[in-house]
Amino acid sequence: MGSRECIMHSGKLLMSPALAALILSLAIFPLTARASTSQANNSTQDQNKDDQNKAADSGQSASADQAKEPASDIKSAPTDEGQLATVNNAKIPSYSKVYVAPIAGGFENYIIAGLRNKKVPLTVVIDRSKADYEISGVSDSEKAGWAKMLFIGSQNSNEQASIKISDLKTGAVIFGYSVHKTNSVRGKQSAGEACAKHIRKIVLD
Amino acid sequence: MSNKRNVASILALLVVAVVSTALAGDKNAPPSQKIPKGSKVFVAPMEGGYDTYLKDAIAKKKVPVEIVASRDQADYEITGTSESQKASTAKKIILGNWHSREEASISVSNIKSSEVVWAYSVHEEASTHGKKSSAEACAKHLKDAIENQ
Repeated sequence: MGSRECIMHSGKLLMSPALAALILSLAIFPLTARASTSQANNSTQDQNKDDQNKAADSGQSASADQAKEPASDIKSAPTDEGQLATVNNAKIPSYSKVYVAPIAGGFENYIIAGLRNKKVPLTVVIDRSKADYEISGVSDSEKAGWAKMLFIGSQNSNEQASIKISDLKTGAVIFGYSVHKTNSVRGKQSAGEACAKHIRKIVLD
Repeated sequence: MSNKRNVASILALLVVAVVSTALAGDKNAPPSQKIPKGSKVFVAPMEGGYDTYLKDAIAKKKVPVEIVASRDQADYEITGTSESQKASTAKKIILGNWHSREEASISVSNIKSSEVVWAYSVHEEASTHGKKSSAEACAKHLKDAIENQ
């Protein structure tokens, strides 16, 4: 009996470091994964900047003709936190009337507040029939779990959203943007402002 | 001959005036984003009864607007959304924080023109007074927007 107890005791002793190692590896994995993604982002940022400079140099053409282009002409470019896509560098005339369609979780309100905060020169209307363009999309929010609080010490949520702007006259989608924020300090507000900041890039001053 | 020239010049001027006004009409003008003091405002129902907190906050912060119960009587409408998350057990034990997480976003729109004239969003990671704090933040910024325009 004594020898059996001894074996069980030694087994428990062996199990506890293994369990600790497993917990440590689980805790370290998100940090290493984040480090690798940030490296990937850094490598793509330079390319993105070059693309944006080229787009700015190529001139600002009217959106009406470009909006009629087929969806295959959508150009995609990675940004700091999200993915941006425009149809042939399409532009929206300043102070165009924009309707923000209801989005689950009331995210449309955060986009409207973001447009105002980022001083985007667009007129938001609440009546779709009076609008020239429509912003629609989806959003998702993931609250911090106990593991995140324990291992990383962060209570910030993960936010992701994706929006598109369509020309209501032609029905063409002229702009698309998706954002993913890990540890969003300001939650949906941050995601809404990121969307607004990128919308501003396609609005003519 | 001189009369004919005068008539021709007047006609040319008229054509130029008509074309210029038509072009000016096509161009989008910036909206007049002003909320006059004493405007009648309707607060639309919001999730979790946040409209009630907002009405209280507007009264408490002395925002210079008049709250009306019917949308038909109002000049402006406040719409929005709010989300409240109570502190979880993990947050209480690990972070030692009992306060809730509050998020809200509101927009003020002109009912006649359908234009959104003002918008604001607030995020409080550890709100001491819950929804009341976020509603008062909205009211405070609305007051600033009305008084500093």
